Order: sequence, then C-alpha cells, then structure tokens
Amino acid sequence: MRKALPFNDARHLEAHQFLVDEAYLLDAQQYDAWLDTLTDDVRYVMPVRVTTARGAGFDTSPGMAHFDEDKYSLSQRVARFATEHAWTEDPPSRLRHFVTNVRTFAGDDPEDRAHLLVQSAELLFRSRGDVNESAQVSCGREDVLRWCDDRWKLARRSIIADESVLRMQNLAVFL
Amino acid sequence: MGAVTDQREVFENVRRGMIPAHIYNDAELFALEKERLFARAWTFVAHESEIPRDGDYVVRRVLDDSFIITRDSAGEIRALFNMCLHRGMQLCRAELGNASNFRCPYHGWSYRNDGRLIGLPFHREAYGGDDGLARSGQALLPAPSFAGYNGLLFVSLDAHAEPLEDFLGDFRFYLDFYTKQSTGGLEVRGPQRWRIRANWKIGAENFAGDMYHTPHTHASIVDIGLFREPTAQKRKDGATYWAGRGGGTTYKLPPGGFDERMSYVGYPDEMIDRIKAVWTPRQRQVVGEDGFMISAATCFPNLSFVHNWPKLPGSNAVLPFISIRLWQPISENETEVCSWFAVDSAAPPQYKRDSYKAYLMCFGSTGMFEQDDVENWVSLTTTAGGAMARRLLLNSRMGLLGNDRPVVEALTAESFHGPGRAQVGYNEYNQRALLGLWADYLEAAGA
Repeated sequence: MRKALPFNDARHLEAHQFLVDEAYLLDAQQYDAWLDTLTDDVRYVMPVRVTTARGAGFDTSPGMAHFDEDKYSLSQRVARFATEHAWTEDPPSRLRHFVTNVRTFAGDDPEDRAHLLVQSAELLFRSRGDVNESAQVSCGREDVLRWCDDRWKLARRSIIADESVLRMQNLAVFL
Repeated sequence: MGAVTDQREVFENVRRGMIPAHIYNDAELFALEKERLFARAWTFVAHESEIPRDGDYVVRRVLDDSFIITRDSAGEIRALFNMCLHRGMQLCRAELGNASNFRCPYHGWSYRNDGRLIGLPFHREAYGGDDGLARSGQALLPAPSFAGYNGLLFVSLDAHAEPLEDFLGDFRFYLDFYTKQSTGGLEVRGPQRWRIRANWKIGAENFAGDMYHTPHTHASIVDIGLFREPTAQKRKDGATYWAGRGGGTTYKLPPGGFDERMSYVGYPDEMIDRIKAVWTPRQRQVVGEDGFMISAATCFPNLSFVHNWPKLPGSNAVLPFISIRLWQPISENETEVCSWFAVDSAAPPQYKRDSYKAYLMCFGSTGMFEQDDVENWVSLTTTAGGAMARRLLLNSRMGLLGNDRPVVEALTAESFHGPGRAQVGYNEYNQRALLGLWADYLEAAGA
C-alpha cells in the first residue's frame, strides 16, 4: 500500500489547506472564485454507485455518472446560477461541506513536484426552506492537484458517493 | 377522507379538470394506488440492453415487490420474484451482475438463473429427498405478466393483464420515435437513482404535456445559451398528442423535408438513413410533412421519456439526447427517480459521447432542466399535505372553454399523421387524460 506523506510535510499541509479553502468557497457559493481554482483541463466526475456482489469486480454503474464534467460544463452550471431563473437555488440552500480524513500522496514520479494526489472524505449538509428535512451526501474524493500559476489547482476529482440512491433532490451544488 | 362517496367526488372533479390538491399527498389515495393501479397496470422495469449477455441480471422493484430481471443461460429474458421459496429471504441482494445461479444467504437454497430450484443443503437428510420435497417443478415465482416492446421490459402484477401491446395501444407509434432508431434498437446506461420528496404523479403529468412550464421554469437554460428552443414563442407552436396509454409534447420545426428536419435537431446523415429504414411512412410524415419533433412524453402510469437537442460546447450546432425515466413511488410524498440515458445502438461513437454529455447537462440527478422542476414538485407536494389543500381544486382545464369546447381545435388527420388526438399550443389535455386513466383504475374494484 502506498504511504501517505507525514502530516507535517509541507505538501500535505498545502493540500489540506487547499481543500479547506475550497470548502469555504463551496459553502458560500462563491462559484466564480471556485472555478478559478480548477485547471483549464479539469476533469470532475462522480460515478453512479451500485450494489454488486463482493466478487463482481465493480461497484459503479458502467458508463453512467452523476457528474462527468470539464471546465466548459462546470462553467455553464455556474453561469446558470448568475441568471435570475435558477429556481432550485433561489432562495439558496444553506450548505456546509465537512472535509476530513485528508491524506496526501506524492506522484509516482519522485521528480514530479508539480502534482499531488489527495484523498478526502466529505459530508455535504444541505438545508432548504423551513419545512423539509435537510439532506446529506456522504462521499470520498480522490483529487489530483497541480502546481500552476504559482498555486495549487484542482486538475482531477473523482467523487465516490456512499449511496446508490441519493437522498438529495438534485446535485445543483458541487462536492 | 375514506368514505367511498368522497372518493367519487375526487374522481369526478379530476375528470372535469378540477384537481383536488390533496391527491398529490394523500396516504389513503396512495394505498388505493397500490391496490388498484400498481397491482394491475404494466410498469416499466428495465431495458433489454441492460442485460446483453447470458447470465446478466438487474434487480428492479414494482413498488414493494423486487424482481430479478435475468437473461438466463439459454438467452431467455425472465422476471423472477426475488424471494426464496423456503423462508422468504430476498434471494439476490445485488442490483446488477452476471450469475448462472442465485444462492439464498439464509439456508443455501440454490436456483438457476431461469428460476428453477436446483439444490438445497441436506436434501436427503432433512426432507427425505424428493419424497419429502420434490425439487423438480420448484421455481421462483415468475412475474404474473411480463412482456417487452422495442426492448422496454414491463411487469404487471395482474396475471390476467391485457396484452402489453393492447395496453400501450396507439402510444406505440410514438414510443418508436424514442426507442427504435435502427434495427438494433436502443442501448441504455444507468439509471441514476435519487429520491425526491414529491408525489410520483407530478413528474408523470409534467412530462406528458406541460409545455406551458418550459419557458418559465427553464428560462435559465435559454439565458445561458445552452438551448435554443424553449422560448415561449417556440414552445407554444408545438403540438401535444395523446394516444392509447400515453401522450407527449412536440416542437414545431422550421420548413423542410424529413431529412432536413432530422438534421435540424442534430441527427447525422447516417442515423437519419437508419431511422428512415425503420420508421413507418406515417411516422416519417409527422416530422417530414407535419413538422413536429417529439420532446417529452409519459406512458401511463409512471414511465416518461425526453428527447431534446441542446447546443454542443462552443458551437451553435445541436445534438439530440434521449432519456427514459421511471417515477417509482415510495410513498404519497416521496418518489425514487430512475433516469436512464438512451442512445441508438448503431450511432457513431462520437455521437454517443456527445449525446451522453448533453443528457448530463440537461436531465438526471445533475441536469439543469431537472433541478428546477424538482424544486417546484417538492414544494407542491409539501403544500398538498395540509388541511387547506383539501379545500382547493387546482385548475387543470387549460385548453377548454367553460362549455368544454376546446380553445383550439384538434389537428386534422391531414395536418397531423400520428394516431390519437393532437393539438397545437398550450393546453392540459394530456394531464387530464393521464389523471382520467388514474381515476378509472382507482375506481375499478378488484376482479
């Protein structure tokens, strides 16, 4: 098994700070600032999890995802929120992205100081209005951070949902 | 409620297009829906392309009843009630996979993927062998009725259900637009599954005929330039149609012949050629002569379709996608949405990729159309659960004058070549037709 960087390694501290800063932007729905933390070639995917037998060798739905995004499609989603007609987030949800279990790994190539692999666990709490119960999504994330423009940016994110049937009315928000 | 007379009043109001608001959140009516509607009607469970190889299976529910939809080792597709014959354990607990046998985790009874019981531990010692319990002839209960149309597989819990083709009736004509674009038919991916705190009928009605909501609910999609069509003007030029057990909406296409119009919504030439080879002359006339392109539709009771053509990234070119979706009722105020992406199996690989991306942008758990719909439906359902909703009749009479004459006359057979009743413009004919069928089922006592 690969060994995570020690928690006092500067690279781990930077990766951890990246995720916490990002969680703040997502909670506050500062999506333009969030888009700016993504590389231009970002890949942002969230496969559909399925229940399979232990020996099946797969636990995601073949060829189907909730998110399968690039910078263009994420930008379109963000642009929609800036219109006056994105009813699902108007009034906006109250969001809290809890990020924990952060582990950072150096890339395969020891000479490559420009990439970090970061695993994290996330719990998204979302509350709307005053009548309906709040909703939660629990997931794991596997990210690739890339050093560019003198800072870390998100180049790839795989979101591993912990439910096969999401208990949230939509994913109009990001994980 | 509860009293039969009260329910009769509900159904009478529904039939005249005045909908008692509480039908969208009413536990007693939901119990009646289970007993009289979902225990009888044909309901969608899977598409054949989800189980392409021998031994493939998916597990699907018809409300509370779980079925293994399996392609057995001889290639035959079956729907087997997912309950062990011995102690009633749920036999298969995965939702998809490939298996030659299913073995119960409780006492180890084993079944072939065609449902036959093939083994039970200590058969001789515990039962005295076949003397005590004959294995032959023992099999998982098959679905009472099971049939397919263009690869869409349906179950009915009624062993005496009318044949599926009769149930669907003339809606088959329109189903072909979505599900038969070549001799090979569709391939589907998914479903995405998520739960919404909304009554199942709302989505079914919306997809059946609600052209009126598109310009307003989905304004943001036009604002960001993803979609060129759903402006108010464009949408009301479309026609709605109702035929047999289903109905839907269409968009009016610009002038041109069949090929030009199919090309206008983004079908590449090779797909148009295959489509022409499998659609009947009348089906081609709906597009080529009448100038209507199918959009959303619902097959009673809870299966919907959508066909749209958003713009490709960074371009004015558009590309179609198709989605199939099931509004699986959980309770009177909760629905599991199962949403599949569907594409013609013979479509070029790049088309399939682009169409899939177009689907994800627009519909499904992350789709930008869908998000705003569900927000409304959850709110409607919540409000329908209160005491005041029992005093409110929702006006669902759009398209009807006070004397029940139509605001806009139905299209003639010369101007609309599809079966059933079609008309141009905003109206709620289809929603009334859907809820009319709903009322028919709920009023009919058991055989």
